[in-house]
Amino acid sequence: MRESLFIFGINHRTAPVAVRERLAYPEGEIVAALARLKQAAPAIDEVALISTCNRVEIMGVTIAPDRAQREATNFLACDRGVDATDFAPALYVHQARAAVRHLFRVGASLDSMVVGEPQILGQLKNAYAQAAAAGTAGLVLHRAFHKAFSVAKRVRKATLIGHGSVSVSSAAVGLAAKIFDTLTDKTVLLIGAGQMAELTARNLKRLGVQSLLITSRTFDNAVALARRLDGTAVPFDNFRPYLKLADVVVGSVAAAAPVIGPEEFEGVIRERRYRPVFMIDLGVPRNFDQRLNALENVYLYDIDDLSTVVQESIGDREREAEKAEGIVDLEVDSFLKWLGGLDLVPAIKDIRSSVEQLRELELERHRAWLASLAPGERERIESMTRGLVNKLLHRILSGIREGRAGVADGAYAAEIARRLLSNELAIEGDVLIDDDSDEDDDL
Amino acid sequence: MNTVWLIPTLACYAMSAAGFAMERAGIRTRLARWATPMLAAGAALQTGDLLMRGIQAGNVPVTNFGQSLVFLAWLTALAGLVVIVRTRMPVIGVYVAPIVFVVLALEATTVRQARLAMPQTLRSVWLPIHVTLALLGYALFVIAAGVSLVYLVYEKRLKAKRPLMPTDERTPSLEKLDRINYRLLGWGFLMLSLAIVTGAIWADAIWGQFWSWEPAESWTLVIWFLYAGLLESRLTVGWRGRRAAALTIVVFTVLVGSFVGVSLLAPGKHGGNFG
Repeated sequence: MRESLFIFGINHRTAPVAVRERLAYPEGEIVAALARLKQAAPAIDEVALISTCNRVEIMGVTIAPDRAQREATNFLACDRGVDATDFAPALYVHQARAAVRHLFRVGASLDSMVVGEPQILGQLKNAYAQAAAAGTAGLVLHRAFHKAFSVAKRVRKATLIGHGSVSVSSAAVGLAAKIFDTLTDKTVLLIGAGQMAELTARNLKRLGVQSLLITSRTFDNAVALARRLDGTAVPFDNFRPYLKLADVVVGSVAAAAPVIGPEEFEGVIRERRYRPVFMIDLGVPRNFDQRLNALENVYLYDIDDLSTVVQESIGDREREAEKAEGIVDLEVDSFLKWLGGLDLVPAIKDIRSSVEQLRELELERHRAWLASLAPGERERIESMTRGLVNKLLHRILSGIREGRAGVADGAYAAEIARRLLSNELAIEGDVLIDDDSDEDDDL
Repeated sequence: MNTVWLIPTLACYAMSAAGFAMERAGIRTRLARWATPMLAAGAALQTGDLLMRGIQAGNVPVTNFGQSLVFLAWLTALAGLVVIVRTRMPVIGVYVAPIVFVVLALEATTVRQARLAMPQTLRSVWLPIHVTLALLGYALFVIAAGVSLVYLVYEKRLKAKRPLMPTDERTPSLEKLDRINYRLLGWGFLMLSLAIVTGAIWADAIWGQFWSWEPAESWTLVIWFLYAGLLESRLTVGWRGRRAAALTIVVFTVLVGSFVGVSLLAPGKHGGNFG
């Protein structure tokens, strides 16, 4: 009989992209889809739809979880034109506590393909905005999403989950930032115009690099890339004079022997007056002689070094993720406490009105005598009865809220108190609760 | 230092040192967050002590080796604070806070000497200027050596290809450390030069000669030439980065050796034996 949260769906771990792409919703269609879903699934009171390239999830609030899930699955199959048997094995379902925990973990980027990646929070905020726009988010979902956002924020603040580089090109750029304070006044030389070199160059440009020189065995490739990245193409058999200008050198050419050796580069370093050089070797076989790393103020990283950095960052993030799980668990507890308290609302309302009714009944019985009293005395009696009733109510209600009744479930204690106090409606009690639950939804 | 001031001052510096160390180790505690304010609190308390004693003595309270150590520690804490706040490099605190603490604690427990009254004849406006400039120059060299130490540690890690500890996310870049080292050296050198000039003017006014070749003076000249060479090598040959950092530390070692050595072995007039 209680409102409870559920989440079901598929993600990158349970379903291949071939399945995910068929269920995913384009961003612009979600509001309309939510409206259709609400129509098709009357058992669901509140609902939101989270659709990213790694997950399609329906999150809802219902008092009949099994029915809600059946209706939503059918809806998803019909609405996306996918046979339910195609994705049913990949579906996971979380209810109540597990659902809250899942939502918080998703928001904190603990359920992401790359743990700690920051996009998911934005995607979750989007999903919430769409549910709010469609009018399908109610009291519980509003609160759940906001709590998920604050949990994500707390996790980011208290752990290092988003730190470190998790791709080779971002590792290279991260290293550049360890060597150079700013990249705006630095020159980058790309030797080889391959995809990895381009990706690295783009990342460097994002950090402010303005001067970009590109050379490639095939001059046309260098020119084409220079045009894309707003750089300058340099002929391959004549790139050496430019070496002394370059603060970052990215090598990615196919060459049997190193393109740059230590003897040659020593002269370059002197000409540069020992200004540091960061050499990123993406080539296999390697483009730069390993001994370059021993030169003063030269930092050489080959593809394996960069991969090691990436591996370490991923390891660090996983260690941080454990701390984050602890934070999530605490927040789940506090959210469930709030949700539990919510259930008490209708019962508490009943208890209040029953007691108040008794008071009024009693006053009514003595109306004649009361009328004979002086106005001041009458008021005194009024306030005396009201004070007595309030003290009694306070003791009962605060006892229920604080779990002093000795039963684990506050709602259960409230229900008992409600039944004991309402003499005339004891048998039809359930009907009354239902009425009030509906009211509660509109809060 | 007066114990009324000494104990809380030392406590602040110690807590600051512990906080900076925790911050570095990635231990997030309240102490780690309050490391810089604690350093500031220590410096403020010490300022109070120095002011009191300065008013009592009617001049800068630096009449013996122990007192100049205390004064130097104070200037180092102040200069360190400025560097930490302005360059946003709390890593410098890992070095500055313990040094200030140790110097003060050592002075309090071992070096402490009888205070010498300064002869009326030597009192002059040049005294506070000369002493403050000299010790401020030294304080800047202390911090430059610390920055260089940090540089060498980071540079070694980068060379060894183990650069990205999770707590290192906010560590300064090599370029920044190198630039700050250079600036500190430049300012320190300027202070030292001015200290020599003002000292000479003062000496001339009292003893009638600019320079008397006593040990403190000769060694200061050596130090001055070493720092001049350090700055010059950067400007002409372009020695920067690792080499500049290593040399900064070498020259600083000479500075410490001469400062302590001269003060303990051949104090002369600079040690307070005004004759």
